[in-house]
Parts: sequence; structure tokens; C-alpha cells
Amino acid sequence: MSDDTAAVVRARFPRLTRSARGWAAGWDRLGEQTAFYAKALVSIGDALRKYKAETLRVLAEMSLGVGALALIGGEVVILAVLTGSAAAIVGIFGYVQAGSLGVSAIAGFFSAYANVRLQLPLIVANGLAATIGAGATAQLGAMRISEEIDALEVMGIRSIAYLVSTRVLAGLLVVPPLYCVTFVGSVFTTRAVVVFAYHQGAGGFDHWFNTFLLPRDVLVSGFQCLVQGAIVMLIHTYYGFTASGGPAGVGEAVGRAVRASIVVSITLTFVLSLVLYGKSGDFHLSG
Amino acid sequence: MVSTAPLIGLAKPVKKPLGEVGGFIALALDTFLAAFRPPFFWRDVIEQCWFIARVSTFPAIAQSVVFNGMVVFLFGVAAVSFGAGDITGAASGLATIAQIGPVTTVFVLSGAAATAMCADLGARTIREELDAMRVLGIDPVHRMVVPRVVAILIAANLLNGVVIIAGLCADYVFSIYALNGNPGAFATSVTLLTNFPTVLISFVKASIFGVLAGLIACYKGITAGGGAQGVGNAVNETVVYTFLALLIANIIISVLTATATLAT
Repeated sequence: MSDDTAAVVRARFPRLTRSARGWAAGWDRLGEQTAFYAKALVSIGDALRKYKAETLRVLAEMSLGVGALALIGGEVVILAVLTGSAAAIVGIFGYVQAGSLGVSAIAGFFSAYANVRLQLPLIVANGLAATIGAGATAQLGAMRISEEIDALEVMGIRSIAYLVSTRVLAGLLVVPPLYCVTFVGSVFTTRAVVVFAYHQGAGGFDHWFNTFLLPRDVLVSGFQCLVQGAIVMLIHTYYGFTASGGPAGVGEAVGRAVRASIVVSITLTFVLSLVLYGKSGDFHLSG
Repeated sequence: MVSTAPLIGLAKPVKKPLGEVGGFIALALDTFLAAFRPPFFWRDVIEQCWFIARVSTFPAIAQSVVFNGMVVFLFGVAAVSFGAGDITGAASGLATIAQIGPVTTVFVLSGAAATAMCADLGARTIREELDAMRVLGIDPVHRMVVPRVVAILIAANLLNGVVIIAGLCADYVFSIYALNGNPGAFATSVTLLTNFPTVLISFVKASIFGVLAGLIACYKGITAGGGAQGVGNAVNETVVYTFLALLIANIIISVLTATATLAT
């Protein structure tokens, strides 16, 4: 009886049925992803105990890059260039626009404030997704297409622990040194732009910079980058792990993964900075 | 006679990156010339535009809202402590139009559209479809690359507009409802630091970034090789190179225009 009713409803409202099925499929995918992430996070212990060598290999690959990307210095150099150029923009706009309000002396404040709180987490989120994330999706997708992942499972190797958890772990380990390099790089770039290009006194710049560089801000922004490292690796490995449809499918999976992880990690950065910094700035410029 | 052997050894690691740059410039010039050769494939351009709009509109709006939310919170707080809370609108208008709009547009275009484009072309390359086209006497640059680059140019401008509008709306909502700003002061001060040249430069920037992203995606796509892993690597390199090219181009344009666009 109920089967007949369902068949009649399906025949009567084809478009409605199709969109309902689309929603159901999307909902299913969400559940699958969540289960995958839970499994990957739980197996980090396994990765740490059994696949130390693989974790180290993936870590080396992430930090210094493979193939053509290794030629230009790998992840470290790419992220340093990305954040450095964004820091130059902070310097240019901080100096010129503060100047148009008559307070160009406080460019150092902009460096300590905008670089740490705004520029670094946002640019690192995009940079991580584009470099190590997209690379992981491409690798895992290619392995899935050429049935290497199935082969691993046949050999009795836990594929999620071996392929995914090692990468998530490496993503967590690679962020702290990466954050230090990008932090120092962007702070020096902003200073160079303001002091050498716009000829502001170095002493004044340093004074404002040191006054408003709060250690807690640096820790929070580093923590945000750490969370992003984990999120990016989880999303990208999921899309690589479930790629299908030949070489074009791998490419599409990379595109979808970059899109998803940029939106998720940036939204998360926003929420985290609201939670951790609150609505006040914790600084007092005027009295 | 001096032996050139050490020089040849030295040239080896330099040769590949230089070759890539040369190949990219050659493709860019080919595309430019082919763009003016009739026939022009309008149908492909519209199809690609639709495709780009479909994959990138939602991420662009999401990213724009978040970026702007952070800018408003950070600079709203700073401006209030200067006693200049009323200029939140000015700061957010300038930040959105001059920087966040074009940069977000291209982050999304390179993350979503250029990757898909590169994957599509890369898959065709390794299935030797492009070689088949050449055998049939069809120029792949004219037939495949030109419509894609033109489409991404059009889409970049349209998307830039959407991103800026979404960003300004987000700025308004955040600064009025979260920071308790004054709606009238916000609306009046939006045009304080922003003027017509700023808007014009924003769209010029979006166009330049869009064309760069499209060309890089097509270049990496038609030079892909080595099976599924090769296509994956090509897509990965597309994202990295577009981000690098974008930020470096952004610095150059910003230095050239930062003082020129100041509304005084």
C-alpha cells in the first residue's frame, strides 16, 4: 500500500521528488563526511604509533614541496611570499590611509594589529588550502583512481589511518614553524614598506609596533592557523579519498575541495576571532 | 678555449622554470592574437560564464561577508578608540572596494573556476583530444583557450560587483547591529575615502587578475601530462601560481594607485 502511494506521489510530482532526493543525497554526504572526519581523527593515535615513517615523509613533502613546487622552495616559500605581499598591502594602506586622516605616525600600530589579527589567519587559510591541501587531494585522488587505495586495503593496511590521519597529523605539525616564518616575514615586510619606501622614522614605527603587539594576539592567531591546518587537511583528504571519474574527476575533486575548505576555514577563523578577541580591542589609543 | 661544461651544469636547474615562464608568455601572446581572429565563439563564452558563475557565486559571497566582518570588527574597534567611530563606513568602503573585492574575487576564481577549467583542459590533454584537434586543423588556443579567458574576464567583473555589494551590506549590518554604529553616519562616510577612480581601479584590477588566472589555468591544463596524478598536480600548481601572481600584481597596482586615488 505505502509502496503504491510512494510510486503515485513520485509519478505525480516528479520535480518535487527529484529535489527531495537531491536534498537527501546532500544530507547523506554530510553524514558520510562527518563519519570520515571522526574516523580520521580517532586513527591519529594509530598513525602516531604505527606509521611514524609515513608521517615524517608526508611532513617533509608538505613543508618543502614536491615536483615543480619544490623548485620554487615549497610550501614555506609560497606562504612567506603570500603573507609578505599581503603585509606590504597593510603597510601601503596603513601608511597612506592613516596619513589621509592625519595620523600616519601610527602605521606601526596597523602592522601590529592588522597583520596579526586579520592578514595572517586569512591569508594562511587560503595559502594552506591552495598548496598542501590541493596537493593532498590530487595525490589521494590519483591513488583512488588507479585503485591503489583498494590495494592498500587488500594488503590489510588501514587506509584511513595510513593515508588520511598521517596527513592530518603532518598538517598540525607543519603549521607552527610555518606560522613563525610567515609572522616574522610579514612584520618585517610591513616595516620595510613604511620605513624604506615611505621614509617614516624607524624609531617611531617600532615604538607603536612594540606598544600594540600583544603576546596574546600572536598566540590566538597562531592557534587559528593551527585549527585551519587540521580543517584543511581533513576536507582535502576527504575529497581526494572519495574522488571518482578518471583524471577529470581528480581535477574536479581538487576544485571542489579548495572551494569547500576556503569557505569553511575562513568562516571558522571569523567565528574564532569573535570568540577569542571579543568585541573590544583590548588596547587604549586615547586615554 | 674555455670549456662550457660547468655552465651547462649550472643551467640545468634554471632551464625548467625559465622554460615554463617562456611557455606561459608564448601562450598569452598566442591567446591575445587569436582573440581578434574571426570566428569568435560566443556560445562557448556564454557557457563558460554560466559555469563560472555557478561554481563561484556562493563561495565568493561567503568569503566576502567574512572578510568584511573581520575588517569592520577590527577597524571599527580601532576607529572608535580614536574617537572616530563615524568613519567606520569610510574605512570599510575603501577596504571593500579597493582590496577585498578584487582579492576575494580572484581567490574564489582561482580556487573554484580556474581549477575546474584546468582539470577539464588537463583531462582533454592527456586523453589526446587537443592533439586530435590539431590534426583536424583546429587551433586549440583559438577554439578552447580564447573563450575561456574571455569568459573569466567577464565573470571576474560581474563577480567583483557582487562581492563588493555583498561586502558593503555585510559592513553595514556588522557596524550598525554589532558595533552599534550610526546608520546615517555610515552611509554618508562610505564615499569619504572612496571615489570614482577607486571603483574604476577595482574593476581594472579584477579584470587583470581574472585574465591572469584564466591564462595560468589554461597553460597548466594544456601542458598537463602523466595520468591522473599529472592532472592533479597541474590543478594544484594552477592554484599556487594564480595566488602568487595575484598578490604580486596586487602590490604593484596598489603602489601605483594608493596615492593617486586618495580622495582629498
